Amino acid sequence: MLYKPSVPPRLNTMQLPLRIITPLLALSLLAAACGDDSSSDADSSSGTAESITLYSGRSPELIDPLLDAFTEATGITVDARYGDSAELALLIQTEGDSSPADVFISQSPGALGLLAGEDRLQALDRSLVDLVPDGFAASDGTWVGLTGRVRVLVYNDELVDPSDLPASVLDLTDPAYTGRVGVAPTNGSFQDFVTAMRNELGDPATLEWLEAMAGNDSPNYPKNSAIVEAVGRGEVEMGLVNHYYNLRALEADPSLPSVNHFLPADDLGSLVIVTGGAVLNSSDAAVTGQELLSWLLSEEAQVAFAAETQEYPLLPGIDAPTGLPGLTGFAADTIDYDLLGDGLTGTVELIRESGIEQ
Amino acid sequence: MVLAIGVFFVGPFAYVIWRNVDLGTDVWSVLWDRDTLQPLRQSLRLGVAVSFSTVVIGTGLAWLTIRTDLPARRMFRLLSPLPLVFPSFVGATALLAGFASGGLVEELISPLGIDTLPDMRGFRGAWLVLTFFTYPYVYLPVAARMASLPPSLEESARMLGRGPWAVFRTVVLPQTSSAIWAGGLLVFLYTISDFGAVTLLGYDTLTEQIYADKLFDQARAMGMALVLGGVALTVVMAERSLDRRRSQVEVLRSRAPLTVSLGRWRWPCLIGVAAFLGNALIGPVAILGFWAWRGLTADVETIGLGTDVGSLWGPMLHTAQAGLITAVVAIAVVLPVAWMIARYNSRVAGAANSMVVAGFALPGVVTALSLVFWVIDAPVIGRWYQTLPLLIIAYVLHFGAQATRAAHVAVAAVPRRLNDAAATLGAHQPRRFLSVELPLMTPGLLAGAGLVMLSTMKELPATLLLAPIGFDTLSTQIWHAGDSGALAQGALASLVLVALSAVLTWVVVIRRIESY
Repeated sequence: MLYKPSVPPRLNTMQLPLRIITPLLALSLLAAACGDDSSSDADSSSGTAESITLYSGRSPELIDPLLDAFTEATGITVDARYGDSAELALLIQTEGDSSPADVFISQSPGALGLLAGEDRLQALDRSLVDLVPDGFAASDGTWVGLTGRVRVLVYNDELVDPSDLPASVLDLTDPAYTGRVGVAPTNGSFQDFVTAMRNELGDPATLEWLEAMAGNDSPNYPKNSAIVEAVGRGEVEMGLVNHYYNLRALEADPSLPSVNHFLPADDLGSLVIVTGGAVLNSSDAAVTGQELLSWLLSEEAQVAFAAETQEYPLLPGIDAPTGLPGLTGFAADTIDYDLLGDGLTGTVELIRESGIEQ
Repeated sequence: MVLAIGVFFVGPFAYVIWRNVDLGTDVWSVLWDRDTLQPLRQSLRLGVAVSFSTVVIGTGLAWLTIRTDLPARRMFRLLSPLPLVFPSFVGATALLAGFASGGLVEELISPLGIDTLPDMRGFRGAWLVLTFFTYPYVYLPVAARMASLPPSLEESARMLGRGPWAVFRTVVLPQTSSAIWAGGLLVFLYTISDFGAVTLLGYDTLTEQIYADKLFDQARAMGMALVLGGVALTVVMAERSLDRRRSQVEVLRSRAPLTVSLGRWRWPCLIGVAAFLGNALIGPVAILGFWAWRGLTADVETIGLGTDVGSLWGPMLHTAQAGLITAVVAIAVVLPVAWMIARYNSRVAGAANSMVVAGFALPGVVTALSLVFWVIDAPVIGRWYQTLPLLIIAYVLHFGAQATRAAHVAVAAVPRRLNDAAATLGAHQPRRFLSVELPLMTPGLLAGAGLVMLSTMKELPATLLLAPIGFDTLSTQIWHAGDSGALAQGALASLVLVALSAVLTWVVVIRRIESY
């Protein structure tokens, strides 16, 4: 009885989904196979094209309207792939000379520095690089800054007396701040900040600062937005982040008690981290790619960045976002990644060695 | 053919090895470094703890919803697999917002005089979140197995005077153990590869280290990826050798499985199930709903912070399309491997199986980059780079493990004598397979397809890097929204993802397992 094979074959149960899914599958494959003969409409001799491919480390909400305006102004379409800046840099590195990308926009100068070091980026025209003040572009011209974000100390004004706030990021190692300052040591912006510190103070002093922060039991978070959320909840009193996360969090919930504390302009703690753009070496539409970058540095685009994403425009003469201190005098991210020797590997090694990651 | 499938799945491992050679990584020194051993130990500790808790919960839940007279069990059958579809960073964010110090729950209960909640960061939080969101890896295969058990053995045991608990332990459990182990293994592999939850909850694992080093210290990141892959392979092979020693129970049922009466335990069990699903599913959904509602009713002017329900249509269709196609392709690809193992105990198939399964433990971004590496300059297939077929291949590469283990359990449960009987009646092999074996494997295969579908619907790294330009999914929408601080839109997209997966899971998986 136990093994009685009395079940009639019930093909119907399997056939139904297959009947729906098989044609769906076939159609999709067909569409994909037919749809990719538009691979290159570029005129490689002149470096211009009707359409270009952009890899954007900046999310669509924050750049799409500007790309649409560019298309309207120039007739050039932009095919954009959005992702994490570091992962897109790895993608470009892995794709090598066959990369479909023409332009790369990165929220982290470190990712651009890495690609420049591997000779994946081409030198931009001097006229483009000179649009921004010194220090907001790579010294070899391989990338140019588009906007800036300022590092700040965000704090919960229900838990922190403003007179307790430090005058310098270097003061956060004081035992008075034990357990009170959230950091994101594995995050790109923090890594860029530590790289700048190495550049400014040297490796031993940087390691000393990181170790002291570790000794202060600074709670770890994965990224800026998580720190801002935790400060808003009151889980941690303060945190080292980029300025615009809190502005956006307040927009979503104006009742939040989180406030940005801008450190003095010449302090390392108010470093400006640029979002930069570059044209790939492998691009056959380099001229058009530079056209996009210079358009993003046009007055129209820079005003839009300041107004709508609350970032600092880098084109001189454009006002800072409403309610924020002006950019003049802020320590720029003037890092020449090549001069650091071991480059950014040294930064992650120092961070790890310090024990600040818990 | 089995060999070809195996070679396909070797791709990511070969890539990791090649990168290690190319970058000159000294894998031994990476491995024996205190900064690697400590995260590795934490990965293993979390993996074992989460596997253990999900095995207990997944099995218990499957038994209660499939085999007892639990009230509202049909609803619970639908709800139980769904937590798998939460991307782990969404689940962790919602849990933190709810339970962390200063969170929503604390605000709710503080009037009751309770003002401190247990700390959710670190091991405890990661363990809890991953248990909530990965137990369906156990639940689905076990539920499918329990739904197809014959009543006769259990009836005999009952007649011999055994109580319900003894029957469960001595009759039901041995017959489902293969599915339970399969699920536990998937949970372990997922846990050691997870990035989203551990990083948000501040628990430092090997995968978190790989992510931190992936760009600026590639030699070390790739060395650690190799270590992770090695650990996964070892565990998979160990489980496989255990599985070979376990007696395979081939069973066929002729009537619906027994329904056990819970008696006076009916209501306590109901409360337990409801409380668990309340935490794993309803709680996060409520928090997401709160954010979405706040965004929909607020008057927001800042760019990118508004909500736009209409913009989610396209991503929803893409998500459904990717999930369904991947599920079918994955089952079709791994079935031959599972069949060869179960039928012929083939060594080649065994090795192929280990590759397929262990690949699941490599972080998604590594698998995606390996595909880029192998495909971009390849003749013919290079033309498919960043098209839908290649994206599907990436998903199959990453999630093949889920289909493989489920298919293996399904194939092993089909009595060989049926095939022999059909052969003596003159049926050819293809016909025997289609008309005798395939229908009997249906529940197990559907469970595997369901796991692959849900995993694909939330997949992020490969989708970002390899999808055709413009092929947005709900998962990429959620991520972009999170990246730009658009909490409400992200919450809305998450809710759509949960709703869509509920519909698809019901139509494609649960309804069919039930009616089997």
